[in-house]
Amino acid sequence: MALLAHVARGCSRIPKLQLEAALSVRFQSTLSHNDTKARRARELRPRRNYLLNDEVEQHRKSLLQQSPEVEEIPVQQAEANVPRDFRHVMPEFLPDPNPLYRDRVTEKLERMDMYRRRTCIDIPEFYVGSIMAVTMADHHAPGKQSRFVGICIQRSGTGLRADFTLRNVIDGQGVEVRFDMYGASLQKIEVLKLEQRLDDELFYLRDAAQEYSTIPFDFEPVPLPKGATVPVNSTKVKLNPRPWLERWERHELKGVEDLNLPEKKYRRARQVAKPWERWDLMKRQRESINEDEEESIMKETYMETESTRRARGRQKASLKKTR
Amino acid sequence: MATVSAVTLRNALCQLQCRLTGVPQHAFGYVGLVSNYCQVRTKKQTKAQYKLEPDWFVNRKNRRQGKALTGDNEDFVQEVIGDTYRNQDSMLKEDPWPRQEYHRNTRRTGVVAIKLGVVPQWTKEGHKFFTTLLQVIDNHVIRYTPPEEFEKTSGWKPWWGQRFGSVVVGAMSSDPRNFSKAYNNLFTEAGVPPKKKLTRFLVTPDAAIQPGTPLTAMHFRAGDHVDVQAKTIDYGFQGVVKRWGMKGMPASHGVTKAHRKMGSTGGGGDKSGIWKGKKMPGHMGDKWRILKGLKIWRINTKYNVLYVQGPNIPGNTHGVVRIYDTILRYKRPAPDNHPPMPTWAEEDSQQGVELEYFDENLHVMSEASVSYSQ
Repeated sequence: MALLAHVARGCSRIPKLQLEAALSVRFQSTLSHNDTKARRARELRPRRNYLLNDEVEQHRKSLLQQSPEVEEIPVQQAEANVPRDFRHVMPEFLPDPNPLYRDRVTEKLERMDMYRRRTCIDIPEFYVGSIMAVTMADHHAPGKQSRFVGICIQRSGTGLRADFTLRNVIDGQGVEVRFDMYGASLQKIEVLKLEQRLDDELFYLRDAAQEYSTIPFDFEPVPLPKGATVPVNSTKVKLNPRPWLERWERHELKGVEDLNLPEKKYRRARQVAKPWERWDLMKRQRESINEDEEESIMKETYMETESTRRARGRQKASLKKTR
Repeated sequence: MATVSAVTLRNALCQLQCRLTGVPQHAFGYVGLVSNYCQVRTKKQTKAQYKLEPDWFVNRKNRRQGKALTGDNEDFVQEVIGDTYRNQDSMLKEDPWPRQEYHRNTRRTGVVAIKLGVVPQWTKEGHKFFTTLLQVIDNHVIRYTPPEEFEKTSGWKPWWGQRFGSVVVGAMSSDPRNFSKAYNNLFTEAGVPPKKKLTRFLVTPDAAIQPGTPLTAMHFRAGDHVDVQAKTIDYGFQGVVKRWGMKGMPASHGVTKAHRKMGSTGGGGDKSGIWKGKKMPGHMGDKWRILKGLKIWRINTKYNVLYVQGPNIPGNTHGVVRIYDTILRYKRPAPDNHPPMPTWAEEDSQQGVELEYFDENLHVMSEASVSYSQ
């Protein structure tokens, strides 16, 4: 009690050692100095509020579970001969390489949905540059259906989000429509002319003369001879004079005629360019799916879509990348 | 002088009490002598630096370092662990508890799930919307506390009265060597391996569940509405532009060193000073948030995945979320059409469990395209 009174008076005159000793008799465990230090250190350490991919996989297959997920052994059906560049035919089956969004089960479920949708509607092989016609269910159109014809200028998204953009000029006005490839109200997709262009995106058609993207709505389908490779349309587009929507000299376009710009513009483009990214192996690794994984996914896709392709009398996908 | 000595005396007593009990100083009310009520414009943003551990708290971490084992020995130990839990006496081997009726005020338990990703779906009208996939991995009921006992435990709020008991649910069985003995002992009643995540749900006594009961995605039905609770993405210490969406200041026109700074902190005169709740830089994210009344559009029973409405469930991919029946009045399950009580059991599905269950308004991928009649 005498000690407490000392403390109440202001704690100044008591030697520190004495206080520590007195307290340590009864409260040794609560006053362990190292413990608090360790706790503070632990609190300062950054913590994740989510699990890592490996941890989740481990728990899914853990034998401590009542019903662990059994890994499916792929059925070897007569050695599927997947064409070498099949991933360019159905690129949307490869998942988004961003590791923040990767998950095996999501990707699997998504792919199952896509196969099911492909049994109900024919989604043909097409590329950027192909001329296509899409029929959609439309509340406001006469006959409750609308058909749009155009040139495919972009293809993007993975999984069920996959989409493509068609461009046409109607009554002197450029029109672009973006369609979900797996959308529920899509009635029919026709490829009127199967071909490729020199570029992966044709947004520069917005800055070119309208003839380049004008396609009549009664465009006759151009059949491709059986077994032929997909032709590459190597027309060079002449762009309108500036101003443009983008600085096209910085885009390394192949399907464009000489831009006729002052030297200053090219110099600046050279300054901004990042030619080393082409050789950046880590970047390529980050932005692509692992080769083994890609192979297994494409194999599965090929097997799953083979029956529907055969039923529709489609020739085997025969793409030869020429560029 | 008298007041000064009183202050020192109180502070000294307070300090002593802190040291004796281990309770942080600010937990006692009399540290600040003068306290005024101040308007708080937003929720309190700061976290308590030190928290008191509740009486049910046990240390999870196993401090003992196990010796490294050879491959064979490791396999053997894992085999033993598997056998131990497969042969352990569980409460489920006793008679199951009787199932009770669902009433208007019944509150069932929830489940712990993991966020997998966001995927679009389409309605029967052809509209696109986004759903979040939530996987229920290895959920078990660990403990049930009836209201009379729950009332005596810490963490009980007086306004709950005797309406609720509590159910502890665990997810993801793990190797018991990773945890302390005290933590492993929590699971002896349920007879399951120690779980990685534990959480508690309030339940009414008619929805009491026997410990050891597994919970799956079939706990809910397609078309039901749920509340989802999760921790938001942890952004760490962030400036005012990212945290509160302030505009900052221009990039040029004489602005120096203030491009992403907050402008004024307040006015003068009567309203002078920095008000409480002023939006300032600080820690952003890693907070519990609830989304209420989300519809379950689809259930996959093979992978135990729920397709829940909305792209904005808080947290990263593989974040842990709590899912329970919504408390919203008009979306809550009605007594005439209610989910299984207290949870799904095999006897509920006489015709066997289907691979997938769909909401009636969802466009099923294996059906024909949506078309509108003339």
